[in-house]
Amino acid sequence: MKPIVSAVAGTLTRRRVQTVMIGVVLLISTFAAVMALGLIVDSNAPFDKGFALERGAEVTASVDRSVATSAELARTARLPGVTAAAGPFAEADVTVTVNGKGGLVVSQYPMTVVGRASPGGPVDDLTLTSGHWPRTASQMILSGTILGGNVLGGSNPVGETVTVTSLPGRPRFAVVGFAVSVTASADGWVLPGQVARLAGSRTPATAEMLYRFRAVGTDKAVGADLAELRRALPTGAVTGTQSYLAVKVRESRTIALYVPFIVAFGVIGLIMSVLIVANVVSGAVVADYARIGVLKSIGFTPGQVVAVYIGQAAVPGAAGCLAGAVLGAVLANRLILGKTAIAYGVGTLAVPIWVVIATPVGMCLLAGLVALLPALRAGRLSAIAAIAAGRAPRAGRGYTAGRLASLLPLPRPLTLGLTAPLARPARSAMTLAAVLLGATAVTFAVGLAYSLARVNTGISLSNTVQLQIFPPYGPSSNTAEPVFSASQQRAAAAVIRSQPGTLRYVAESYTQVSVAGLGQPVVVTTFRGDARWLGQAVVTGRWYTRPGEADVPLAFLKQTGTEVGDTVTITVGGRRVPVRIVGEVFFTENRGLSMLTDWRTLNRAGYAAPPVQFDVGLRPGTGAYAYEQAISAALGRGYGVFPNKGRSTLLLTMIGLIGSLTWLLAVAAGLGVLNTVVVHTRERAHALGVYKAVGMTPRQTIAMVVSWTAGIGLVAGILAVPAGIALHHYVLPTMAASVNVAFPASFLDVYRGPMIVLLALAGLIIATVGALIPASWAAGTPAATALRTE
Amino acid sequence: MDALIELSHVTKRYDGGARPAIDDVSLRVAQGEAVAVMGPSGSGKSTVLNLIAGMDRPTGGTVAVAGQRIDTASETAVARFRRDKVGMIFQFFNLLDDLTVLDNVLLPAQLAGSRRSGARKRAEELLAALRIERHKDAYPARLSGGERQRVAIARALMNQPDVLLADEPTGAVDSATGEEIGELLLDLNASGQTLLLVTHNPALAARYASRVVELVDGRIGP
Repeated sequence: MKPIVSAVAGTLTRRRVQTVMIGVVLLISTFAAVMALGLIVDSNAPFDKGFALERGAEVTASVDRSVATSAELARTARLPGVTAAAGPFAEADVTVTVNGKGGLVVSQYPMTVVGRASPGGPVDDLTLTSGHWPRTASQMILSGTILGGNVLGGSNPVGETVTVTSLPGRPRFAVVGFAVSVTASADGWVLPGQVARLAGSRTPATAEMLYRFRAVGTDKAVGADLAELRRALPTGAVTGTQSYLAVKVRESRTIALYVPFIVAFGVIGLIMSVLIVANVVSGAVVADYARIGVLKSIGFTPGQVVAVYIGQAAVPGAAGCLAGAVLGAVLANRLILGKTAIAYGVGTLAVPIWVVIATPVGMCLLAGLVALLPALRAGRLSAIAAIAAGRAPRAGRGYTAGRLASLLPLPRPLTLGLTAPLARPARSAMTLAAVLLGATAVTFAVGLAYSLARVNTGISLSNTVQLQIFPPYGPSSNTAEPVFSASQQRAAAAVIRSQPGTLRYVAESYTQVSVAGLGQPVVVTTFRGDARWLGQAVVTGRWYTRPGEADVPLAFLKQTGTEVGDTVTITVGGRRVPVRIVGEVFFTENRGLSMLTDWRTLNRAGYAAPPVQFDVGLRPGTGAYAYEQAISAALGRGYGVFPNKGRSTLLLTMIGLIGSLTWLLAVAAGLGVLNTVVVHTRERAHALGVYKAVGMTPRQTIAMVVSWTAGIGLVAGILAVPAGIALHHYVLPTMAASVNVAFPASFLDVYRGPMIVLLALAGLIIATVGALIPASWAAGTPAATALRTE
Repeated sequence: MDALIELSHVTKRYDGGARPAIDDVSLRVAQGEAVAVMGPSGSGKSTVLNLIAGMDRPTGGTVAVAGQRIDTASETAVARFRRDKVGMIFQFFNLLDDLTVLDNVLLPAQLAGSRRSGARKRAEELLAALRIERHKDAYPARLSGGERQRVAIARALMNQPDVLLADEPTGAVDSATGEEIGELLLDLNASGQTLLLVTHNPALAARYASRVVELVDGRIGP
């Protein structure tokens, strides 16, 4: 045993770079694998995981404080079915205008503000995603998934100002951060004492109670819990409730859109981790074959040789695996899963503990296995054969290609380097696979970012609609969507027309109708005026041109069993109207059970839906902020004027997440290249000494060493483009199909000529950057030292 | 006569070495001279050669070759110096196994960016002069020791160096081949090629060098 320990210790100290490399590679690979597995696992029912971590409220109840006393509310926490309760937290419904650093962010936004002393608690443990909890009376923290996600359009939240326009004196609050409640229990939070002045004198004092129950999981069970709660309080005390099941359905629809791509990234990360570990560990053992021969020549048995080489990979490998698991658990939670949680709208996600334990164990076993195979081979070799195998690649490999390459009109260092991979085909294939995966991830990620931007534009229509105007939205109208009265509609249209910056506008109405054979209601969006300019993405068919024609999303077609060209009968106000479907559109509202048509289509049934909003397109060169100010002033108090920025926090988070993952995968690929070059440099150290002895300059040495992997990188990059595009074209429709949506071709057709050329160079860049460090080492090694290496 | 090679009070100490590999060595070699540096193993003779070729840096003192300070030059300048001014011959040939004989010989010219046709003509002339032209497309592994050393000499002469540095050039060949190699070096010196030869063989030094410098424990002997 002692000779084995001595030999392992000797190798670890003599081959410090190799030792560190194995440790670092296993650290990064384990880190990437922990993160990838964490993402995959957490992408399975993320709402449930976030809900459990944050002890989400299974029921959020609004109670009238004039009916229920504090003692009565406190008693509900001790009901037999209740396992945890929090509250009462005073709440108020207000209308606000948010001013940011660049001017008005949103005007007349309705929100529910709750007073809480801290984000924590036995129920609804809020996650602070930025800034801090309010410390003074004039501070407010906003919900990251509601106001921040959909309205602020990714504006930096901290430091902005909220003005409560629904109250006399228009009190102002400084936004000090963003927080996420998994069940969206409020739009903003202030210190408890501040709610009284927000509630105003005209509205009754209400409070929010948050509960977790013993029996949940179905609507029936939650209904029984609610009944128990209502019985425990005076009649009329509970004015409104929200079940977590409703939030879960809503959130799951959003989450489902992103799960396939997260999983695709996770799988790529896992495969790369495995490849890189195999490449590095087996490379390290093969590179030390010469020493294996020496050990055998002094009497080591084959079994002892195997033990030595397993040991020299296992010691730094185990250290790297452990460190990677710890780092992975900490950093993945902070850097990746935090963003993912925001994207999923669930506040908190964490790497499961079994992933933190199983991943390093698996990686260590993998490292041991890939070290074992070449070590077993070395154990069987004779001493002389092992020494010969360790000193140089098999004679003859790549010689012919080398001769042909020397005829190329390229500088000699480049032609010498380009054919070097042929001497070690297996190692080169592993490196090519690692770079191919890294470059594929880059191609996929770039396309995904562009497509997501187009999806976002397709949803928000921000390319054409710069402003949306809503009818007056008072605190009392929270229960029903406000509509423009006939006089308000005329007045608003007149104001919009009078603005010189108005290019075009259209009024939208929503009407719930029933469709023959469909058990669920369909929401019909009707437009008063030409709506073609909105640019709603048409997947197949065309945009409607006359009353009686309509466009519908895929979900509608699927659930009604119809196709473009068919006629369906809708029933509105008890009267039936035939509608011909002329196109399939990308439209995600109401889970796709929607229809878009001219308002006169419903008018045939004698139904005239009042408008709920005006969409306004501005003339080129019109300042959106100045227009907002002018139209807000002209409309008067109460109207909601929203800039349609189209930059949702969700989108920015997803693009940030894509960027983070892509960087990690590219770094992992670069590390694989770095290892290949380190092993190759050591193997070719003597040849490098010869090159230097006959006059190769440091720059020529770097060029030669970089070109060892540059060819591989270039080939991998070229292969990665079609692979990445194929992955993109597979994952995106899968994303869409998972939520019953079809993307138009324009959402997928994002790869353009110059971009493709740049993406094809991604592999070359990864390979070049990965090779630069060892190339610099090789260039800086004195010729005499390199020659002595043998 | 001006010195082509001039070492002045040169010391070289390797990391962790208890004593210097060479200690306060001063040496002048004139243009066209054939000098043998002789000494037992570990005396520092290869270190002297490496310092002159710029393959290693002295710890102290100065090294100048053809009027150029080697000890203070940048790595790039030293590489260019080696390429243009120095030809190296090693005991174990140091040929590149994956290049043909012709490609090995062409390498210094290719690294210098010489014209392809001119370099090839010169390489073929050298191979013919050294009587190994029939092996030009062979790989070094298929050649005998003597043939390999001739290839190494051809490579060393490719860029018409000012000085030829030979480190135990007959150490890895049989005595008959060693004789041939020695005669070849003698002929080269006779044609004006400056030669610095490192050997531990007194007979070789006496026969092929016009001057012998003896190194003992890193110092020039009496």
